[in-house]
Amino acid sequence: MFFRSGRPVPVVTGKTPAGRPVPAVADGPPVTDSALAGRRPPRWRVTGTAVAGGAAVVVLAGCGAAPRTPAAGDDRVDASPGRCGHGWRHPRPGTQTFTLHNTSGTAAEVRLTDTRTGAVLGEAEGLAPGAARTLPVRLGAGTYAFVCLGEDTDPVTGPAVRVPGDPRRTRSGPAAVPVSVHDLIPPALAYQRWAGRSMTRLVAATDALRAAVRTGDRAAARSRWLTAHLAYARLGAAYGAFGDAGDALDRTAAGLPRGVRDPGFTGFHRVEHGLWHRERAPGLRRAADRLARDVRALRAGWARTRMDPADLGRRAHEILEDTLRAELTGRTDYGSGSSLATARAHLDATRAVLRPLRPLLRTRYPGLPALDRRLDRAARALDAHAHAYRGTWTPLGRLDRAQRARIDAAVGDLTERLASVAALCDARRTP
Amino acid sequence: MRPVLRRGLLRGALAAGAVTALAAPAPAPAPAPAPADGPRFHGPHQATILAPPARATAFTAFDVTAAGRRELADLLRTLTDRARFLTTGGTPAPTGITAPPPDSGILGPYVPADGGLGVTLSAGASLFDGRYGLADHAPRLLRTMPVFPDDDLDPAWCHGDLALQLCADSPDTVLHALRDLTRHTRGGMQIRWRLDGHTAPPRPSGTPRNLFGFKDGTSGPDPRDARLMDRLVWTGTDSGEPRWAAGGSYQVVRLIRMLTEFWDRIPLSEQERVIGRNRDTGAPLDGARESDPPRYAHDPEGEAIPLDSHIRLAHPRTPGSEAHRLLRRSYNYDRGVDGNGTLDQGLLFCCYQRDPVRQFTAVQKRLAGEPLTDYVTPFGGGYFFAFPGVRDRADWYGRALLTGTGRTGGST
Repeated sequence: MFFRSGRPVPVVTGKTPAGRPVPAVADGPPVTDSALAGRRPPRWRVTGTAVAGGAAVVVLAGCGAAPRTPAAGDDRVDASPGRCGHGWRHPRPGTQTFTLHNTSGTAAEVRLTDTRTGAVLGEAEGLAPGAARTLPVRLGAGTYAFVCLGEDTDPVTGPAVRVPGDPRRTRSGPAAVPVSVHDLIPPALAYQRWAGRSMTRLVAATDALRAAVRTGDRAAARSRWLTAHLAYARLGAAYGAFGDAGDALDRTAAGLPRGVRDPGFTGFHRVEHGLWHRERAPGLRRAADRLARDVRALRAGWARTRMDPADLGRRAHEILEDTLRAELTGRTDYGSGSSLATARAHLDATRAVLRPLRPLLRTRYPGLPALDRRLDRAARALDAHAHAYRGTWTPLGRLDRAQRARIDAAVGDLTERLASVAALCDARRTP
Repeated sequence: MRPVLRRGLLRGALAAGAVTALAAPAPAPAPAPAPADGPRFHGPHQATILAPPARATAFTAFDVTAAGRRELADLLRTLTDRARFLTTGGTPAPTGITAPPPDSGILGPYVPADGGLGVTLSAGASLFDGRYGLADHAPRLLRTMPVFPDDDLDPAWCHGDLALQLCADSPDTVLHALRDLTRHTRGGMQIRWRLDGHTAPPRPSGTPRNLFGFKDGTSGPDPRDARLMDRLVWTGTDSGEPRWAAGGSYQVVRLIRMLTEFWDRIPLSEQERVIGRNRDTGAPLDGARESDPPRYAHDPEGEAIPLDSHIRLAHPRTPGSEAHRLLRRSYNYDRGVDGNGTLDQGLLFCCYQRDPVRQFTAVQKRLAGEPLTDYVTPFGGGYFFAFPGVRDRADWYGRALLTGTGRTGGST
């Protein structure tokens, strides 16, 4: 995270009906585009306030966009630990947008919580000094409070505010009790142990592949290649999860000047390309040797490192994003036609990451039973193309349109659901 | 060459006045049938059907992957809810820390109410196969699009269980809606094919031009004439349709490649004789202004307007041909180049009618062998049935189909 410091700003004041000055307005550096910001730190926003008709009306003026006047009653709330939650004057049910304003001298994080359950309805992280940010929420009848977390200070809970209404009719938006790093450590350790055991099986499988390549029995080598590659795929090495070691093992020829003939092309797909393109023995042997070595290096490295617990939720989501992007387009098929087998192994990998997260998800993610049903459905859709007696799978290109649509839809559906798991399991500071 | 359906149908189908008014971005003098803030969402018909073509469109066909009738009902309910929100605008429902942001954000923090988005949902014949128990409830005349003699159809660009057309004044509004709708229906349906289209502004005035440079859509039934629309566009129980299908319309979509570079290499006089109109003004070759009706009775030999010209075949203006008129809602498309560097451009032809055999097929047959076939090739499309409108907040696309014809689908 980085913060940009604010600069002195003109102050606009107004009068409340009681004649009290309204808190000042700050303006930060102009907002730049945020559409492509991805996971970058939050940006700044320019705001102004005016007082009209007795209610504070906040006018957002960002980035050349047309100014919009939010519905009356959208309040401007102080996010600084010293005045946490001050300014929430018009409690009302329904969808509304608060403007959070950090009047303190240090960065702040602020959340709106349900005081009964501790569930968070919305948050703003990394709110720089002087900065303001909007926070859209939907509130039902109930009691809520803002919690402000300054840098290196204890969290401060602002005044509890009761939102009127019939609790059965006005329901709040989705909320959850935040997950902390502390919560994620046991699942991460469990996952790490599981992955370690799986890597031992992987080492045995790549050794067996290497041996088969050395004997020159191409049929046996192909069969062992599939076994070994699926053992790797079950680890769920999506999006750089295993760093350079993973890249050496499962890369494609993309980005290599000489493509499949490039010396930098290593790993499972390198061996696959050789086995299914009748490559001569010496080159193939070297590739299989290298693969076996790299797998051992992966296992050794894994034993030495501690996985970041915060990665767990993201991994639960991104394994199948990889499947959608690579396996289900055929992009990673170098001749074996085993994309569907790999996709099926990725489902197992996703389940393996979810397993230790379940205790956290059970109370936070109401969609968990539906997610399990959809995982089962995707598994069935893929298993329909396995030929157990031959140990082979239908190549992707052999599927008819309806079969392919069914698989793509099942996996696509899972990526949407798992995105929520990742969001919920993002590690947050807890009071 | 043999008969092919042409963009020329258009010429038979669009009301010139309406097209002019609606396609123009600036204030236009002619009255517009749709309110300035775009078609309303609720009503007996899908309002987008009569609305003039917008500047931008995406036409997307889907394979439905919902497992069973209940999930199909959920899918249609979700499509309705999202379409209602996207067309009427508002703040996306906050998801807090429980999910990624609820909206792609490409229209900014609020979905504008004045984005002019129109959503049209229709069903293909394959939705009424055995999968969802709907086989006995198909619209009476809905069939799978046949292969016409001059077609060169690519199966990857044909048919679909559902078709979704999104129209708006700008492409970002269309893409925003497409991403929202697909995101919320992931698992229930899968994109089969998609073609984007656009409408040109009037150049310099009158009906917008197609990519052959001709004003396209000058003549056509007036969508403001409700009784005419009842005769030509809307289906009803009086035409033998199942009850749920009253207020819908048969939609024919044809993806037509136009060999624009070949066209540019033929003399203007030949272009004009192929079409039957003056390229500069859009006037019929026996007239002076775009709005002049051609007088075929005074030209029985086709000396002014050739007998095989497109406008003459598409809409001969004989008493019998009136019943064949259809409502055209077509767009130009432009999608890069083909394998040998030829520009890949053409027409996303779309038309609505009460009876596809009496209207579309009849016109198609008249166009058989017209000279225009040398310059165009249909490569995809499909026959669909546009659902009746969503009547109110409790209604959803196809509700009467799914709840009135057997077991009711509930929410899972």
